[in-house]
Amino acid sequence: MKITRKRVRPVLGAVAVAAAAGMVLAGCTTSTPSSEASSSGKTITMAQVNEVTSFNYNTPQGNLDINGMINYMTQPQFFTLNQKYDIERNTDLGTYKKLSNDPLKVEYTLNKGDKWSDGTAMTADDLLLGWAIGSCYYDSSKTNDNGDVVSGTQYFSTAGGCVYQTDLPKVSNDNRTITFTYKQPYVDWELVNPIQLPAHVVASEIGVSTKDLTKAFMNTPAGDADNPAPANKTLEKAAKFVNTGYDTTSLPKDKKLLVSGGPLVVSAWTPKQSMTLVPNKYYTGKHKVNFGKLVIRFIADANAQVTALQNGEVDAIQPQASADTLKALKAASGVKIQTGDQVAYDHLDLNFKSSVFSDATERQAFLLTIPRDEILKSIVTPINPKAKVLDSQIFLPGQEGYDQSVKQNGSSEFDKVDIAKAKSLLAGKTPTVKILYNSQNPNRVDAFQAIQASAAKAGFKVVDGGSPQWASLLAGGDYDASIFGWVSPGAGNAMLPQLFQIGNGSNYNNFNVKEASDLAVKSQTTLDASKLLDIKMQIDKLAFTNFYGLPLFQSPGLFATNSKLKGVEYFGGQTGLVWNVWDWSK
Amino acid sequence: MVSYIARRIGVSVLILIAASFIMYVLAAHSGDPLQDLEGSSSPNKQALIQARVQSQHLDLPSPVRWLLWLGGVARCIVPIGGGCDLGTTFQNQQVTQLLPEATAATLQLVTVAFVLAVILGVALGMITALRAYSGFDYSITLVSFFLFSLPSFLIAVLLKSFIALGYNNFLADPTLSPLALAVWGVVVGLIVQLIVGGTFRKRALTFVIAGVVTAAILWYMSITKWFTQPSLGPVVVIVFCAAIGFAFVALLAGVHNRKAWLTAGINVAIAIVCYFALQGLLNVSSIGTLIILAIASVVVGLVVGFFVGGYDRGLMMRIGAFTAFFTSGVIVLDRFMRSWPAYMDITNDRPLATVGGATPGLNGDVWITGLDTFTHFLLPTISLLAISFASYTRYSRSGMLEVLGQDYVRTARAKGLPERTVIVRHAFRNMLIPITTLVATDVGALLGGAVITETVFGISGMGRMFVAGLYSTDVNPIMGYFLVVAITAIAFNFLADLTYSALDPRVRVR
Repeated sequence: MKITRKRVRPVLGAVAVAAAAGMVLAGCTTSTPSSEASSSGKTITMAQVNEVTSFNYNTPQGNLDINGMINYMTQPQFFTLNQKYDIERNTDLGTYKKLSNDPLKVEYTLNKGDKWSDGTAMTADDLLLGWAIGSCYYDSSKTNDNGDVVSGTQYFSTAGGCVYQTDLPKVSNDNRTITFTYKQPYVDWELVNPIQLPAHVVASEIGVSTKDLTKAFMNTPAGDADNPAPANKTLEKAAKFVNTGYDTTSLPKDKKLLVSGGPLVVSAWTPKQSMTLVPNKYYTGKHKVNFGKLVIRFIADANAQVTALQNGEVDAIQPQASADTLKALKAASGVKIQTGDQVAYDHLDLNFKSSVFSDATERQAFLLTIPRDEILKSIVTPINPKAKVLDSQIFLPGQEGYDQSVKQNGSSEFDKVDIAKAKSLLAGKTPTVKILYNSQNPNRVDAFQAIQASAAKAGFKVVDGGSPQWASLLAGGDYDASIFGWVSPGAGNAMLPQLFQIGNGSNYNNFNVKEASDLAVKSQTTLDASKLLDIKMQIDKLAFTNFYGLPLFQSPGLFATNSKLKGVEYFGGQTGLVWNVWDWSK
Repeated sequence: MVSYIARRIGVSVLILIAASFIMYVLAAHSGDPLQDLEGSSSPNKQALIQARVQSQHLDLPSPVRWLLWLGGVARCIVPIGGGCDLGTTFQNQQVTQLLPEATAATLQLVTVAFVLAVILGVALGMITALRAYSGFDYSITLVSFFLFSLPSFLIAVLLKSFIALGYNNFLADPTLSPLALAVWGVVVGLIVQLIVGGTFRKRALTFVIAGVVTAAILWYMSITKWFTQPSLGPVVVIVFCAAIGFAFVALLAGVHNRKAWLTAGINVAIAIVCYFALQGLLNVSSIGTLIILAIASVVVGLVVGFFVGGYDRGLMMRIGAFTAFFTSGVIVLDRFMRSWPAYMDITNDRPLATVGGATPGLNGDVWITGLDTFTHFLLPTISLLAISFASYTRYSRSGMLEVLGQDYVRTARAKGLPERTVIVRHAFRNMLIPITTLVATDVGALLGGAVITETVFGISGMGRMFVAGLYSTDVNPIMGYFLVVAITAIAFNFLADLTYSALDPRVRVR
């Protein structure tokens, strides 16, 4: 009988405990969340290599392509670039027009009813802030070699730098129009986008009203490095916020940082994994998007991107282009591949200060031995079968002027390797050439080896100057030639003096043709399109006839999409995949 | 003991400081931190370089920068002057913010794989030791060495293309052809006969039975669309629960212990009742509910064991707790399975994932998010598991063989203890001593992140943070990584020493 009692007791105990637990549990349940099938529009998912680090692309530390992409979709743009890198005006936001050439006056007008994604109207206050950030008007700083400010004040620090100077802009009475008067004609005035961040957000972050911020801009005198005025506190705070306030590693708790003036607005961010953007309900016009959600997943590995595309986890990818990746994509079914050229290109430059190449004949002889076609076929063709050798130092294929310039610039002399002519030019000499390149980049190593082998046939002794520290060695000039890459912005002419002006910090190879240098400087103040084209073609020709070096090839780029996603087109510029996000549909 | 611990901690801190110095200087000199800017054609290049030099103090020699960094770390321990500061990356991201994110991702990736590797490795090692030099032993040795030698990127890619893509494609038309059924039957039959062993006749019979049963089950699953609408159903749940009860009785108490049968039986009965009674609660459960349920089930098991009691009350309580916990696991598993069709809808009928740790923007109850975590971490876990469990099988196999050959085991057998008691109570515990050390040291290595597995499966954990920092010679994230890994490694080595002395009375710390 004892046993029976013992058997009943545990059951009773268990039942009692279970009942108690049940009562506790009742307080710890959830209702089933509603299914999200009802949400309007489709979700498009794309992969990107890097994670977002800042919602402000235009700072030295935030200047990454991925941040630029987010800004491109969430900040107002007066213009965008098309596939040929032409400027296309975006009238969704407003209009701009050139009022006069000399002095160069440009007027920007916002459309009536333009609104930020929090419903606040866009006004000239926003334009003024954009101008203040980009123009460096208020800076009065002098810095030493380490970049320490020794006197005066530096306000906004931007990735683009101070490339133009204007007077204090004029704001119209209806507070929708702003007029810039440039101190001197500025060739790339059309690339100036005078609106970036919402002024009301910047103002509220630093604890002032938008009016006070605008007042600070209007009342602070232009910076004068020789007689620096004491810093304006409001401006200093605004600049500090713009410079670093948008840097983050996860979705900011402060939702004001996400206020968007573009077609999309950031709505969620799972650090290390994905970011979600939804349409900005206040955005109207032709850049309005046709889907419900854009998810950007951060997938660093190219092969992981390919399998994710195959598995339907992402709809579009833009992996690091390589022959292996292309092969994997081709093997996958239902994948649309788009290959093309990027704005980045590799080139061989001859050092005009070196003992060998101060002599034009030797420069010519060396360039005649460069097997450009072979290099292209071994490095680029496996990824982009349509790729061609780059034949201009200034234009990219597809840009207006490339075909015209190639016909006249003398690049045809170097279409084929001509060992015999190189030998006759050398006349028995066997110069030693040291080539600097990045020894950790397999493409550059391949190019170097091809050049070494080919030049040896003509009698050049090519010495391996490759180094992982190539970049810091570039300015030193302890080499005869260098192989490295430039990234062209696609549009604009800021690179001309960089490369061709005598004494410019980026003119690493000491190109010292006075005529080209003068033209490059002149180009920066040339507003007439046909005159500008003419100047650029002349420089292009001077570069080839003076044996500056040779452009080798454009880096290949690769997009791939699944069959559900429509509207993705190849673009080689820095906004990559998302350049026409408003044309996408699923 | 106290002086020993104090001494060890003091020495550890010194080691950490010295190692951090070496690491800092080596990392700082591993490349050119300005490389990306120096090759740039930006008109603003000089200002960009200066901005980075300023923010990262690149104008100072690396030992001085190390001192600055160390000062920031010291403020993490002694909160004076502005709190914890591990520096920023080139992108002005606080390392103190990045580290927890990266550590969390890595922990999520490695924890399950690590626990499974230890359990599976030790279990398999034990079984192979008990049947040393049999066909089964050789097969496990072969397989574990094969997996051990497979490069992790290869196994990861294979898993992705065969399991993820393959299984997802299979789900589009989830019917098994007769040929596939036959192949599965043969394969499973072969494996089962290896495990069972015995005479040729017995093996042949096992092979046939296992093969036919497997093929029949698969065929049944295929025609009932089980792969797209899986569930266990009441019958299978009852069978599973009973089997769990039986297993724990046989393993822990032996089949002749009637009290054990009673404990397990009551718990199995409660579980089966709960299976029918709790479905409504499970439907509205949150993760908190499940945790409470798990705790409740263990408590119920303990209580049942306590009341059944007898001369071996502790054992009964253990049997009760284990049985209750695992039988409730079966109920939860069944509930997860019944959410599968809804999850397939969400993922467009391609449930197994190849990248990341979660479906972006997923919005579902605990069953859906649980399945989502499962589908995302299944493959990375298998790939980590396959590589790391091999060493545990080897260690535990040799450890077990050694222990089994010792005098006290012979004595135990001689005095007539059942073989189960000899192995579980006498041999197993002593075999665990060296394994403990191994496990402790492995924890440090694990947190370092499985760089390759992380890369292939698109999970940005510690490994990715380290590699990305190294590529751009961005020292602060590298040092953040170093801190976490070094501290865990040192701490766990220390713990291993202490555990060792606790487990083995012959070892004393002074």
